Amino acid sequence: MEGMEGIAIALAACVVVALICRRYAIPPIPFYIITGLLLGTAGLGIVGTSEISEWIAHMGLLFLLFTMGLHLHPGEVAKRRGSFLIAGTIDLVINFAAGFAVALIIGLPFYDAVVLAGAFYISSSAIALSSLIDNRKLGFRESDTVIWMMVFEDIMLVALLILFTAQDVSPFRIIGIIICVAAAAFACVWKFQSRLWQFFAREDELPILAVFLAVVLAVAVSELTGVPDSLFVIILGSAVSLAAADRAEVVVRPFREVFLVIFFVFFGISVSLSGVPSLVILTSVIVLALISKLFSGLVIGKAIHGRIYSGIDIWADTASRGEFSILLALLYGSSAVVPIVAVMVVVTSCVGSFTGKYSTHIRRWCGHIATGK
Amino acid sequence: MGFFHQVLPGIGTKYELETESGDLISVIFMPNGRVQLYTQPARCPDCYAADLNPMESRRLGNVLTGAIMEAEEEGVEIAFSALADLRIVVHTYIIRDQLSGKSITDLDIRSRTGVTILAVSRDGKNTVNPRPDFRFMSGDAVVVIGESDQIRTFEQEFME
Repeated sequence: MEGMEGIAIALAACVVVALICRRYAIPPIPFYIITGLLLGTAGLGIVGTSEISEWIAHMGLLFLLFTMGLHLHPGEVAKRRGSFLIAGTIDLVINFAAGFAVALIIGLPFYDAVVLAGAFYISSSAIALSSLIDNRKLGFRESDTVIWMMVFEDIMLVALLILFTAQDVSPFRIIGIIICVAAAAFACVWKFQSRLWQFFAREDELPILAVFLAVVLAVAVSELTGVPDSLFVIILGSAVSLAAADRAEVVVRPFREVFLVIFFVFFGISVSLSGVPSLVILTSVIVLALISKLFSGLVIGKAIHGRIYSGIDIWADTASRGEFSILLALLYGSSAVVPIVAVMVVVTSCVGSFTGKYSTHIRRWCGHIATGK
Repeated sequence: MGFFHQVLPGIGTKYELETESGDLISVIFMPNGRVQLYTQPARCPDCYAADLNPMESRRLGNVLTGAIMEAEEEGVEIAFSALADLRIVVHTYIIRDQLSGKSITDLDIRSRTGVTILAVSRDGKNTVNPRPDFRFMSGDAVVVIGESDQIRTFEQEFME
């Protein structure tokens, strides 16, 4: 079934999934994808993608990136010093390199290998942050490190998006346009900072309309310039964060929640497992994805907190891959990469939700083993 | 000592206080109005946490400032240490049947007790600084301000 009936069936299934996930306090993202896999091409084949579902999923992606932009407050990021860069760089170097190596070993071409490396590297901010809040871990120093690692990964995602776009459009043109748009957006927000703050504090429909307009406008400008809309919405979000980050996030939330669920479930629906490599290869990719994050976590724990066990906490919340991995695979990956990323996201985020919940137990358990008790 | 504060992108704002005894207290404000409170005793690897809604965090704040004198009633005492230790009590009461229909002037509240009616809440609508001819209705919630002796007189005169 395509069109509206398909969306209705998929969304209804997601409501049930969300209900169950909330009941047992587990992150719903992997289960939306599993629902999609079951309903779609890879499973029963009940629901297919349509133009409408693709449009809604695309809006979900843009609202996700707009929210990500809201977290990239330039002043706050610039204030971060050594530990932010050290943790971020260790995370990037170890996991990107590991992902790239894995991709080459399983025989992906160079371009797909970069996509898989990106998907392998970027953890799910959504799962990490909600794990920190829901499992009451914000008091730990390691949590600050995790939160800022997510910001570093967001910045690297922007770099990757620019890199991939440079395939089609000349990099100078992209960077030129991006600098112009960013300068205009930041200058406007800076100039009307207090008015914008008042505007977002309004209780009526205007802030909601304005945010929706901003995102649609980004799509329109993208069609004119050839620079991806994903980059424009991140810039817009980051600019708005100067004036009213908290309030804007509250306004965007309903859009993001609804559209993003469609994004996840229809990602699952669109995945075809026909091009998937053998189970052995798939399992080793997933195991490596978990191990490389554990290794980078341990190195970061030792480097930033002076204790290797801190690394277990860091790993526990960053092991999940999620929305950004899917984004990279969908936008830039070939049909060989997409199913690998789909399975990797589902498995790592299920494992990650478990490790996030029991990280203190895992750390204590490792401590006991190390001391021989 | 002193608070250390930082923004946590995607989460909210975190305030951290290390006490003299080395215990660590963190307070995280989230955009949805909820607050998470953590305490980490010195030399103890575990954190203890509580998740508070806006009302609970305000109440906790009142308790910590020492403002609440009687925890079971809805009252707050504010001390202005700079003004010769001036102490002002703000208290809420529910108007009962016997005062229904009477105005502030009828009851002569100010001259009989010394307190001022600061605000009245009726059916979810608030009237701040009600006029002297304002008539109470049964079930109104009133906010009264005065010194603790005056508040006590008000209770004896009108609330018993």
